Amino acid sequence: MSKHVHEIRDPIHVFVRLDSDERAVIDSRPFQRLRHIHQLALTYLLYPAATHKRFEHSLGVMELAGRVFDIVTSPLNVTDQFGNSLSNLSNPDALRYWRRAVRIAALCHDMGHLPFSHAAEKELLPPGWNHERLTREIIHSPEMEQLFNRMTPPLRPEDVEKLAVGQKEAKDLSFSTWETILSEIIVGDAFGVDRMDYLLRDSHHSGVAYGRFDHFRLIDTLRILPSGDRQSGQPTLGVEEGGLHSAEALSLARYYMYTQVYFHPVRRIYDIHLKDFLAADLPSGKFPTDLELHLQNTDNEVNARILSAARDSAGRGHDAARRIVGHKHYKTLYQRHPDDVRVNPNAGKAVFDAASGRFGTENVRHDSYTQKHDPLLFPVLCKDGRVVTANQLSEVLQHLTVVAVDFVFIKPDLLKEATAWLQANREQIIQPPKEQ
Amino acid sequence: MERLQRAAILTELMDRLRANGSWCGETHVQKAVYFLQEILGVPTGFEYILYKHGSYSFDLTADLTALRADFLMELNHRSPGYGPCLVPTPTSLELRERYPRTLANHQAQVEFIANAFGERGVADLEKLATALFVTREMGETSDPLQRASRIHELKPHVSEAEALASLQEFERIARDAKSLTPQATHA
Repeated sequence: MSKHVHEIRDPIHVFVRLDSDERAVIDSRPFQRLRHIHQLALTYLLYPAATHKRFEHSLGVMELAGRVFDIVTSPLNVTDQFGNSLSNLSNPDALRYWRRAVRIAALCHDMGHLPFSHAAEKELLPPGWNHERLTREIIHSPEMEQLFNRMTPPLRPEDVEKLAVGQKEAKDLSFSTWETILSEIIVGDAFGVDRMDYLLRDSHHSGVAYGRFDHFRLIDTLRILPSGDRQSGQPTLGVEEGGLHSAEALSLARYYMYTQVYFHPVRRIYDIHLKDFLAADLPSGKFPTDLELHLQNTDNEVNARILSAARDSAGRGHDAARRIVGHKHYKTLYQRHPDDVRVNPNAGKAVFDAASGRFGTENVRHDSYTQKHDPLLFPVLCKDGRVVTANQLSEVLQHLTVVAVDFVFIKPDLLKEATAWLQANREQIIQPPKEQ
Repeated sequence: MERLQRAAILTELMDRLRANGSWCGETHVQKAVYFLQEILGVPTGFEYILYKHGSYSFDLTADLTALRADFLMELNHRSPGYGPCLVPTPTSLELRERYPRTLANHQAQVEFIANAFGERGVADLEKLATALFVTREMGETSDPLQRASRIHELKPHVSEAEALASLQEFERIARDAKSLTPQATHA
């Protein structure tokens, strides 16, 4: 007799348990492809053990999504104040369906990733495309829809699509309150298990302890609560007061992992070299959006071409390829400084423009990023029954800094001269122009 | 419109809202910018969807977070019962001095919205913004009763009578906006 429950060993969650329907999704071609997509792109050039893949991350997201769903829908943790908007909470059949939808959506949420994950997404896809759109297309592909149809009851692909990417990446779809909450379980800014898993997993594999936090305690204290800022009281994911410190730790883990790993300048310049290589290597400088071609593209194919181009001085993208293979990356000439930002929020761009004019555009690169959202306002259920926003209880969250980076990189043999040039001209360069 | 031009308008709007009595939390700014953009034609370029508390722009949230990162705005958390209020910094005044033309071009519209929204609470703003969203969805010549029904469908905590009153109030604001400037556009 075949097994209906399967276990997969996992370094973060010990065991990931799944049933045969979920296993069928894991065995699908789009999911198996994730075995060949590095979670952190070329970060292994800097943190050598960070070679983990989207495959195990997606399994971890499914495991955590199931745990969160079970906690927030448990009758012990549900209040009756939301009436009809959350009627699924009192319908066992509906809960069984949506538990499956959440776990399958968690499995599928990264299927659209390009080779090397985020490293080259923005510039290397046609306008209007990103990995979330590719994910949505894959969920609606005949192969996946057939798998969803075989389940009992059949799983609606549009439900998987909504929960996998959330409203931010599916603005054309209308989300019910219930669907919004379930998508928050996976991709929410405050308590999305995508983030929980990648912080824990990236921390583990990179050997950087900053990403750890007490996710067991945090998940146990998650609840569906009315938003706590005296607005319309719409239900959203929040936390019991006893879990607030774990929620703070999650925010701190995110902050430190962003500053120490994800936005480390050497990691960022390798992303730029990879992007330069791909722009030269790909037909028309773009990745295909055709699903069949997408499924044929993994890090393995790209890596083989990088190694080949690095050996061939006439090969497309040779210079970028040899920098990646030979660890000859550009060096940091400038990085964001608060005093400069107060003078000119675009100081990095001003340095980049001036350095490009002085040393040539081919020898200078620019990279900047600012955090998009700062989830301070999740509701907290106090011991006395009040619901308040987290910022009112937590000075840690009040004082958490927004992550922002701004780097200018330069060819290694120009670094000394460029550094002296920048020191001599810095104040003048960063002066902002006045509108005419 | 470039990011720093938007920053100049956003921080000016926050100061004007606060001067007109607004708590000026993120919800206030979200709704005020929605009207500024959609009714008064200020080309801030934010994409709005219908979200938990009515119309909402992820892009605007990203811009507000960037204002904090760039020391142009701070959050004041001393606000029992409410979310933090958004407070432009003295650095933002220096930024605004560098965009005199942008601010002069849109000063009347900013002032109009600050006057119209300054004293409104978030529940009121949610209803008004949803009225605008539904009017854009169904067309301004559509039956107000049908629009009220749609608002109630989207926001069950808003009764149809409240929705109808919000539609009337929205239309009054839109009429006043039309008379303000030829740039103003109706939903």
